[in-house]
Amino acid sequence: MYLVVIGGGTIGYELTRALLNAGHEVLLIEKDSKKAMDEAERFGAVVLRGDGSEPSVLEEAGVARADVFIATTASDEDNLAACQLVRHRFNVGRTIAITNNPENDDLFRLLGVDMCVSSTKIILEEIEKDLPARPQLKMFSVRGNRELVFVEVPPGAGCVGSPVGDIELPENTTFITVVSRDGQLKALDGELRLEVHDEVIALTQSDNAEALIEVLTGAE
Amino acid sequence: MNVLVMGCGRIGSEVASRLWQEGNMVTVLDLELENFFRLPTGLRDTEGATLVGDGTLQDVLKIAGVDQADVFVAVDVRDSRNALAAQKAKYIFHVPRVVCRIGDPIRQQMYSELGLTAVSPTQLTSNLIMEAIQP
Repeated sequence: MYLVVIGGGTIGYELTRALLNAGHEVLLIEKDSKKAMDEAERFGAVVLRGDGSEPSVLEEAGVARADVFIATTASDEDNLAACQLVRHRFNVGRTIAITNNPENDDLFRLLGVDMCVSSTKIILEEIEKDLPARPQLKMFSVRGNRELVFVEVPPGAGCVGSPVGDIELPENTTFITVVSRDGQLKALDGELRLEVHDEVIALTQSDNAEALIEVLTGAE
Repeated sequence: MNVLVMGCGRIGSEVASRLWQEGNMVTVLDLELENFFRLPTGLRDTEGATLVGDGTLQDVLKIAGVDQADVFVAVDVRDSRNALAAQKAKYIFHVPRVVCRIGDPIRQQMYSELGLTAVSPTQLTSNLIMEAIQP
């Protein structure tokens, strides 16, 4: 396959390397002469210095016979202009653009860019995967490296039904109060049994907060 | 008419002042505050007539009143910025009339074929020079 990549930033550089290693024919177009020279040193004669959104540069790159065109510059407007040019002037079948601003994805697709990759969006999705939404949980930092934790006991939690006195809590953890689903304060004694949807308010050491949450929400 | 002009260079400031002198409501967007000094004092002093911001960003276009605009004119110095902003105005905000400056004649022709009103100063100036030198 012949692939033309514009933009020799981190993404364009790594992409070119991976595509070359996979045995493809690649041409990398980079605007900055210093960068282009460094990259030519690294990759050989597959680097062209020039503005990849300029028709003459694309012509020189022989983009018309490219199977795939990938625009990875830091400027969304150049990525769009280049993709539109190669599609409408050079009849390239497949265009891929990096969008630095995720708001541009829809417009790019509407205007015929086959695939948009938004790095911002990918990073956000990864972060969300790591930090799952926990609406039933609130935490406040308290002096002395402590956390005040509010946890709602979910259905299926292992702590449901057993007397509070029997629950193994992490060190330095104190239950302050327990509020029932309908907003009633429950008398805190060792005999109290937690029910589903009870809200437990507890003070703990910051290091133990996750362990406490696990005790109150984890399955048995 | 309510006109939004992106780019206050020589062309942008000229277009904006002419439209304003004809009694239109004009808003001019530019990345640099100092470019507004090309505008006539009366227009520059009109509240809300100038806004510093990047016209390729939807939030900025909204603040500039793109939703109420009858006409959007993209005359920044860079072709690709004009093309992006103009296509946003046309396809996202559905501004009734969109005109953009595309210096490169090849791109200008392509955008015209794609349905944008694209004007190429390069083409127009070259035509005038050819006319002037040919007997």
